[in-house]
Amino acid sequence: MKTDGCREWRTSLGAYVLGQLPEGERAALEAHLQGCPECRAEAESLRGVAHLMPLADPARIVEPAPRPPAELRERIEAVIGAEGAERAAGERRHRRRRRFGFAFGGIAAAAVAAVLVIVVFAGGSGEERWPEQQVAFKDLPQGMSIDAALEPHAFGTEIHMYVRGVRSGTLCRVFLRGADGRTYPAGSFRYRWGDDSDAVLSSALDLSRTRAIGVHAGGRTFVAPVSGGDATATVLQLNEEDPT
Amino acid sequence: MTTFTREQDVREAYAAHSGELYGFAVRSLGDAGLAEEAVQETFVRAWRAGERFDPEIGSLRTWLFAILRNVVIDLGRARSVRPGVGEGGIEPTVEPFEQALSAWQIEEAMRRIGSEHRRVIFETYYRGRPYAEVAKELGVPEGTVKSRVYYGLRALRVVLEEMGYED
Repeated sequence: MKTDGCREWRTSLGAYVLGQLPEGERAALEAHLQGCPECRAEAESLRGVAHLMPLADPARIVEPAPRPPAELRERIEAVIGAEGAERAAGERRHRRRRRFGFAFGGIAAAAVAAVLVIVVFAGGSGEERWPEQQVAFKDLPQGMSIDAALEPHAFGTEIHMYVRGVRSGTLCRVFLRGADGRTYPAGSFRYRWGDDSDAVLSSALDLSRTRAIGVHAGGRTFVAPVSGGDATATVLQLNEEDPT
Repeated sequence: MTTFTREQDVREAYAAHSGELYGFAVRSLGDAGLAEEAVQETFVRAWRAGERFDPEIGSLRTWLFAILRNVVIDLGRARSVRPGVGEGGIEPTVEPFEQALSAWQIEEAMRRIGSEHRRVIFETYYRGRPYAEVAKELGVPEGTVKSRVYYGLRALRVVLEEMGYED
């Protein structure tokens, strides 16, 4: 039972659990603990600490705790910053693919040709089944990239443009070139640094009659071929083993 | 914070826990360079697995220490297969992780408690000096030394609980 006298006993509990109490005092304290659940509980709770104490290396206790060098934080931030940028770029690409609705499909398992010409079909949402054309602009100035995806619609062609590496604010004018050799304006947009979205434009020219897509930007013109048949920019050739 | 996915999360976690993680890594690996490597790897792994962090399961500190545990084991494994180690017939002794963690926790807790409490516990327990001798040196009654040992142990218990130690 806890009494006013417990305070006296309590202050001996540290020495008791550390095995430092002289024999006489220890016996007297143990007699008290027999009848005092509170002091017994307190002794038990200190015993957990006492069990850990032999593990310590006394020399380490008196040493100051080691501190990580300042460069460690900078290194970690650099690694994570780089991975974060890569991750964000991956998410951008993923969003674009989803938006463009691109998916490799339409390849029959029973394909017999060793070399397949694969047309990329839209199918991301499962609602539209428009064959799309993804266009690669080649031989661009270093640091610059232009991606385009063309979707056929009843009204003509929907164009998704993604430009990087030009000065922020640059006006980009887009056109399509038809099979008849004429140029069809397809609208314009301004590239803004930090803007992660693609520009969505449209032209009345039917995709099946489109032979090239071009961009005027920063006083230069960049053109990539578009075709339903022979242009390498829009057709992927894959070597595929005959599964049979 | 429900996950650990923002770069800001890493910065905050580093500010709060890098000292402990590093202190333990040094204690466990016995090498400052390896300890830096271990702490860096811990934060990078945590960042990569950030979506799996669930504060309802355990604290961020506990999670980081669990990752550090794996990192230390991996580093210890890599070190043990490095050429040269063990040459001369002496294998380095590797303290089991849990024991190393407990040892570091009590050492760290001893460093954190008040100097009066630390002093009496250090002198009487770790140096094995009689209470009377320590009392005389400090110029206090023997009963004061005894009660400081008691309150010192209580303080250690509180610090250990803050550090996530459970009996």
